[in-house]
Amino acid sequence: MRVDQAVETTERAGGLRLLLRGVGVAVVGGPLLLLVGTVAMVLGPDLLFRLDTPALAAWRTVFAAIVVQGLPFLLFGTLISAAISAFVPASTLNRLLPRRPLLAVPVAGAAGAVLPGCECASVPVAGSLMRRGVAPAAALTFLLSAPAVNPVVLVATAVAFPGNPQMVLGRLIASLLVAVITGWLWIGLGKQEWLRLPKGVDREDARKWAAFRDGLQHDFLHAGGFLIVGAMAAATFNVAAPPALLESLSGNPWLSVLALAGLAVLLAVCSEADAFVAASLTGFSPTARLAFMVVGPVVDVKLIALQAGTFGRAFALRFSAATFVVAVLSSFVVGWWLL
Amino acid sequence: MRTRFQALCLVLTGVALLRICLFSDLYLRYVKAGLQPLLVASGAVLVALGTLTAAHEMRSRRRPRTGDMPHDERPPADGDGHGHDHTRGPRIGWLLYIPAIMLLLFAPPALGAYTAARDDALAASPAGSFPTLPETEPLPLSVRAFSSRAVYDTGDSLRGRTVTLTGFVTPDGHGGWYLSRLLIRCCAADAGVLKVAVYGAKPPPADTWVTVEGVWHPTGPAGGERTTPALDATAVSPIPEPADPYTDTPRAGNNG
Repeated sequence: MRVDQAVETTERAGGLRLLLRGVGVAVVGGPLLLLVGTVAMVLGPDLLFRLDTPALAAWRTVFAAIVVQGLPFLLFGTLISAAISAFVPASTLNRLLPRRPLLAVPVAGAAGAVLPGCECASVPVAGSLMRRGVAPAAALTFLLSAPAVNPVVLVATAVAFPGNPQMVLGRLIASLLVAVITGWLWIGLGKQEWLRLPKGVDREDARKWAAFRDGLQHDFLHAGGFLIVGAMAAATFNVAAPPALLESLSGNPWLSVLALAGLAVLLAVCSEADAFVAASLTGFSPTARLAFMVVGPVVDVKLIALQAGTFGRAFALRFSAATFVVAVLSSFVVGWWLL
Repeated sequence: MRTRFQALCLVLTGVALLRICLFSDLYLRYVKAGLQPLLVASGAVLVALGTLTAAHEMRSRRRPRTGDMPHDERPPADGDGHGHDHTRGPRIGWLLYIPAIMLLLFAPPALGAYTAARDDALAASPAGSFPTLPETEPLPLSVRAFSSRAVYDTGDSLRGRTVTLTGFVTPDGHGGWYLSRLLIRCCAADAGVLKVAVYGAKPPPADTWVTVEGVWHPTGPAGGERTTPALDATAVSPIPEPADPYTDTPRAGNNG
């Protein structure tokens, strides 16, 4: 009897709380909604009209372009990562890679160089590799090398810099260096707690397809959302960056390298196209243009957003900063040696 | 994000992709033609995935409604530790509705005069020798071919020739105008600019697509630093905006 009464009291209290909350929402929200509605009705058309400037139109186009370009590759990456998570037993991957992370890193770097991948695809794939027990350092090296050096990218570079094979070679060497050195840095300095390991759905064999579908849907919505964030940031810089500022930096050999490395981060051009953009930056030294191509595929706003989504913000910021420094240094060294 | 909104989001994104690449040529405003098969495939996969999810959700609603149970009573099917289960997808996924709805209802225009006016002209491809031009008069040329011959040809192959060029109008800010083209390598985010100064014709409104007939207007020695492509126009005729605005193909004038 007493239990029933207690339940009844709690229920009544719960009902009262709900009622109070409803009234509160109505009192606060009602006028607010009215206010916002009125302001939107009165100012909306005028504001929209004024906002529809050529700059905003260009922003929307660039935003749409990055999303449309990125989505197929992102979907491809999430298909592969969901397939790895659902169908590939952890033991297979571990048999393919050397047991010691120190050795696994260069192997992963070479594997990334052979497989054509795009930065949008490589983040979810690296996530699922870690999920499957691959050493984080090796998975991260793969993440860096897959978009930066692969046959498609190297051919594009050769086409963009005709009669300049040193540029292709320089890109290959510098990018591989970045991937491998950053992987080793992770072994030496990385802390497991920075990395929020993405955990997948582990199901019994009978439900593998369900696991695949769930994983695909979750990863796509997740990474897709971060692709939108990155595309918005990149479109903003693309439309707002003053070209004159860049020109003024092209004279100084140190500043110009940093300027183009920074530009690569902000523009987030995909790795198959960045060679052509680099080729069109004629005012800059070859080393600066190399830095543009080495930094772009491994650190850019779109990638940082994707990494933050997959591995956590604490990781993405540290990892991107370290990769940026390694990429700039490696461009300097390779540029000084080859170009 | 509840399952039904996840399903809707996937279907809408897929339909938006199919709309711009299968049911229209709008995708050419954003990316290269070569991406079409991938876009069609992605659109189809997304629609299929969304439909499957929706069907699954409806079926599981008829069965015991696990989705509405309090959290701790659910069967422990997915023990994943970062704050989501599979009836509640990642919240960031809501953002995917933005491009989906934008592409479905208000597909943004192709880049135009605003971008062309801001960027410096693309380095036209420097080539050593140029093949002889065909005898046709007036000769339709791509803006790229005209620009490289105008700037780099020591053989003066353009001298005295009447050509037709097609592009859009970019005002130069001082009363003059350029016939311009934007070329993309991958997507519109990497657009490069080609500009030909047009003399002897009143500027049409910015972003108008035109075919200009005229003769080469030399501006300096071949390969010189200040040599830029320019044209003395004899006729300017507006044309409708092409479906593939970033493909710089030669195009005959009205009479051709």
